[in-house]
Amino acid sequence: MTDSVYEIVAKVFAISINDITDQSGPENIESWDSFNGLVLVDELENFFKIKFSISEITDVKTVADIKRHLKNHDVIVDE
Amino acid sequence: MEKTLSEYISLSKNLDDLKLEKKLKVAIMPSFTLNGLDETLRVKCSELDIRCQSYVSGYNQYNQEFLNPESNLYAFSPDITFLLLDIRNFLGEIFHFPYKFADKDRKLLVKEKTEQLEKIINIFSENSKSKLVISNFNIPAYSPNGIIETKSEFGFHEMIDEINKSLREMCKKKNSIYVYNFNNFISKHGEKNIFDYRQFHIGDIQITHNFIPTLADDLMSYVKPLLGKNRKCIVLDLDNTLWGGIVGEDGFDGIELGHTPKGKAFVEFQKELLSLWNQGIILAINSKNNFDDAMKVIREHPNMVLREKHFASLQINWNDKAQNIKEITSEINIGLDSIVFFDDDKINQERIKQEFPQILTINMSDDPSNFVPILKEINDFNVLQRTVEDTQRGEMYAQQRERKNFEKTVSNLDDFLKNLNIKVKMKKSNKFLIPRISQLTLKTNQFNLTTKRYQEKDIQNFSENENFKVGCAQVLDKFGDNGITGVYIVEKNKDFWVIDTFLLSCRIMGRGIETAILNEIIKDAKESGIREVRANFFPTTKNKPAENFLSEFGFTQQGSYWIYDLNNQIKIINHLEVEIEE
Repeated sequence: MTDSVYEIVAKVFAISINDITDQSGPENIESWDSFNGLVLVDELENFFKIKFSISEITDVKTVADIKRHLKNHDVIVDE
Repeated sequence: MEKTLSEYISLSKNLDDLKLEKKLKVAIMPSFTLNGLDETLRVKCSELDIRCQSYVSGYNQYNQEFLNPESNLYAFSPDITFLLLDIRNFLGEIFHFPYKFADKDRKLLVKEKTEQLEKIINIFSENSKSKLVISNFNIPAYSPNGIIETKSEFGFHEMIDEINKSLREMCKKKNSIYVYNFNNFISKHGEKNIFDYRQFHIGDIQITHNFIPTLADDLMSYVKPLLGKNRKCIVLDLDNTLWGGIVGEDGFDGIELGHTPKGKAFVEFQKELLSLWNQGIILAINSKNNFDDAMKVIREHPNMVLREKHFASLQINWNDKAQNIKEITSEINIGLDSIVFFDDDKINQERIKQEFPQILTINMSDDPSNFVPILKEINDFNVLQRTVEDTQRGEMYAQQRERKNFEKTVSNLDDFLKNLNIKVKMKKSNKFLIPRISQLTLKTNQFNLTTKRYQEKDIQNFSENENFKVGCAQVLDKFGDNGITGVYIVEKNKDFWVIDTFLLSCRIMGRGIETAILNEIIKDAKESGIREVRANFFPTTKNKPAENFLSEFGFTQQGSYWIYDLNNQIKIINHLEVEIEE
């Protein structure tokens, strides 16, 4: 499911999927501001049919964090 | 399929809308965090060939922006302003603790808050020409008073209801103000879906991102009529659209209409169509059928809701559906972009979509119980005001059909005109006529010499100015009342008058009415001792029907003006009667 996560991240921040790594985050993706960060949450929730907790949402600093939280919701993500 | 917010945002980044002819400036003034609405509106506008520029005020800055005449909002000079308020912010502390206060104090507080709001709204209308759309407030499902909330004296829910009521009253008083029923929006889509406590705590987001496109769609209901993008006519198929089955095969008694569950769905659909017809939406038929078979159902079937008199055009034949659409547009004289097309057949839908992309072709469901919900989702029929003429439009078109049939029975035009018994009532502008006069200047494209668009405020100013003569004409004939269908605005100078605006609704063109109205203006000028009357013709892509009017009347072109010398004889028109009302 990593591909899906990357695809969603790429779509929301309007960047190429090749530019995304697990270390991608607001630090290195310019369009990753707080608003787009929340849009990303919506897209992930709609896609995986889950609901993140408020702490999970505010805790995300990188794509790796997203994958970690997805696991809490029984979404299988490759390492 | 509605796009998601993130799709709208990415589309908004690459909008190629600079070349679009229609332009709109939208201001968005939220009391809470409302990101993405602006981008979504711009994309939705571009889909309608409108270039939308937007201004979004800072978080909860509406008070300051409205109060300060030098604010960025006024500098932006919007055409339409959406003031989107939330009840928590509006009520403050009392939102959570309504019953900490006595009911008298709750009343007082509501009165104070609404008066404050009315004050800033008044300041806004003094400082801006923009239409103002204010959202009303959601009445939360919950109350700390539980099941006895409805017994409370001026309780929590009643407080908000009272605020909403005051908003309604404010908007009834002012033509440029509209209340957006946000409470209805929440009822329709559900408080639980729209309000997400996580987004609220993270950033005071009070409408969840998933519903921003839906909200934008609702707000487009105001934009469409403002820019003349609203639709006026529904073209309908018959078999499996207005009734179940095929009349040519199943017969008069075999079609499903009423009684059965499926038959009831068609009756319900017809009722909703009739209710739009009552509000001025034109209905027309485009059906492949034997004319007599179909008409027998329309005229005689006991469960038909829509009858012959409701249809402005009846194209029931075996011709190509696209050809029939052309017949309809020429019979009722409307543009393709005014039409919504309902046909259950996917091939017909495809045919019309390809031939006439300007038409809104509905993707109809196979299940007739979906017809009404589909119809109710269409937000293209809105108008910013509804005049008496609008509500009578359906009847007027049916009369027009009778007039045309009559025309076919008479051998020449003169006989036809003589037998129409046309009566033209010339009326001086007054406060009851101003909305209709403004409306005609805003939407008349064909017989319009100058195509100057005037809001009600403008018409009011002209009417109060003694250097202007503003009037309109009501036209009646043996088939009925055409309503107020002609408008003129004349600027009166010392020696000469200038015709600023002269227009006629297209449905009464070509009957000598335009000549009769201009005659009265000329007579009046002559009696006032004026030397000449000047007029302009400004060509547009649509006003060709008015092109030769001035020269045929006897005006001659001199420089940039068309001039009528008042020493000329005034034409006499025999076939109609003119009545001047003061």
